[in-house]
Amino acid sequence: MSAITSDFIKLVASIWHRFSLENEEAETLTNMLAPMDDAGEQVSSSIGFDLEPSDYSQALEELGDEEELG
Amino acid sequence: MTDFLNFDLCRTANLVSSGELSAVELTTASINRAEALQPKLNSFISLEKDEALEAAENIDKRLQKGERIGSLAGIPLAHKDMFYRNGKVTTCGSKIRSKFKGDRTSTALSRLEKAGALYLGGLNMSEFAVGPIGNNVHYGDCFNPWNQEHTPGGSSSGSGAAVASRTVYGALGSDTGGSIRIPSAMCGVVGIKPTQTRVSRFGLMPLSFSFDCSGPLTRTVRDAARIMHIIAGHDRNDPTSSQRKVQDYETECKKEVASMRLGIPSNYFYDDLDTEVDRLLQETRKIFKDLKVEIVSVDVPSHDYINLIWAAALAAEASTIHRKWLRERPNDYGPMVKRRIEFGLYQPATRYLEALTLREKYLRNYCDTVFSKCDALLTPTMPVVAPRYQDLDVGGGEGMPALVLMLSRNTRPISYLGLPALSVPCGFSSKGLPAAFQLIGRPFSEGKLFRLGNAYQNATEWHNTIPEIVK
Repeated sequence: MSAITSDFIKLVASIWHRFSLENEEAETLTNMLAPMDDAGEQVSSSIGFDLEPSDYSQALEELGDEEELG
Repeated sequence: MTDFLNFDLCRTANLVSSGELSAVELTTASINRAEALQPKLNSFISLEKDEALEAAENIDKRLQKGERIGSLAGIPLAHKDMFYRNGKVTTCGSKIRSKFKGDRTSTALSRLEKAGALYLGGLNMSEFAVGPIGNNVHYGDCFNPWNQEHTPGGSSSGSGAAVASRTVYGALGSDTGGSIRIPSAMCGVVGIKPTQTRVSRFGLMPLSFSFDCSGPLTRTVRDAARIMHIIAGHDRNDPTSSQRKVQDYETECKKEVASMRLGIPSNYFYDDLDTEVDRLLQETRKIFKDLKVEIVSVDVPSHDYINLIWAAALAAEASTIHRKWLRERPNDYGPMVKRRIEFGLYQPATRYLEALTLREKYLRNYCDTVFSKCDALLTPTMPVVAPRYQDLDVGGGEGMPALVLMLSRNTRPISYLGLPALSVPCGFSSKGLPAAFQLIGRPFSEGKLFRLGNAYQNATEWHNTIPEIVK
């Protein structure tokens, strides 16, 4: 379970982004972030050491429909 | 006599090119309809009457001289107000950019203009292209031509409404998680989100550079194929655009579909489906069977994580772009839009990069699992028809994330994967609201999707149904 709290969000807002958040706003953001944090934690272990984001562009071309190439 | 406004783009383009209909007469009718419907639909943010008429006169003169122009000669189009035009205001549906003048013209717009298309104006949209509903706190909500109590869908709300109301023959929209397909489905028009990198993003307002795509909304599949053929292809101003050759999509439309294979997902896409949408999708399957398309059941990989990591990556990119304004002008955003952008500020860079790094693995897995069994997937574009505005939480409150997820659950995973997806209307609910199916293919298979979609429209009449508001 995500350990993100609204206090943490308020702290990040003030230290990293230099603005303050109301409690209610921080609470809403916490609720939005929690499932993404959990999902990120679940999938992160499947990342290979040699992978990088640009591999996607190459895959897109490689996997492209062959008929289109005529 | 303005029946020609009800014709499709290809037929009308033939009338103009052959001299049977002047571009000025056509444009005048289009402007008149835009003005008449604006109080009811609020599709337009700006209407460029003088510019459009001047361009139409020029087209007529060139045609009279026997000049060959292009396949969109004299056709009035209008576009989501986020395609830059050098020196002209492009609002992006926002207060913050209400006076912004681009220093470039979008490649997609330049290509359409070169093909003879006319620019009628900038269309309403969700602020900064964020949100699947179609509301806008700065320029007023856009309304659904089939029933004005209902949302037209977003974020390309004005594009859906202007095409469905037979005001323009086509409109460009943008799609980062469903923003072309959702308003297409809700407004009963065709819309295609192309393969990532198929259409140049140069001069398109950025929301998320990893997921942003632009594509057309039209009344027919063939019309969409014509526009796609013009705007697709490599652009040196967008180095991420693919160098692949572009097929002649209109020719693809004419090809046989018998023996093609359509996959029906056995999981995810048909979960929690509205009963009326379910019925219309079953009828769609029958139509394809009658066309001798083979129907196969396909297990699709889980989308649950994909949806969440897509949202995380999108928000990280959007909040990077918007960080300055989020600090300096937070009150100039609508509440829902601000909330959906700003949560990207609170994620570590590692989460963002993980989401992008995994994209390749998920794409390969999807192609291996799904497209080894079929040419395209057939899914509902949305699990419901257009909701009423009054039933929606558009204020950015607690219920907002669930609402957004419900409306875009069938579109956003495809944006993460970067696959092409074509939304085609397939009938109406008992309350007269359109439903639509989505054809999803492997990368760069737009031609096959157009072929299937066009065959469906040749066998049905839904695309010829006209909203009461323009009868």
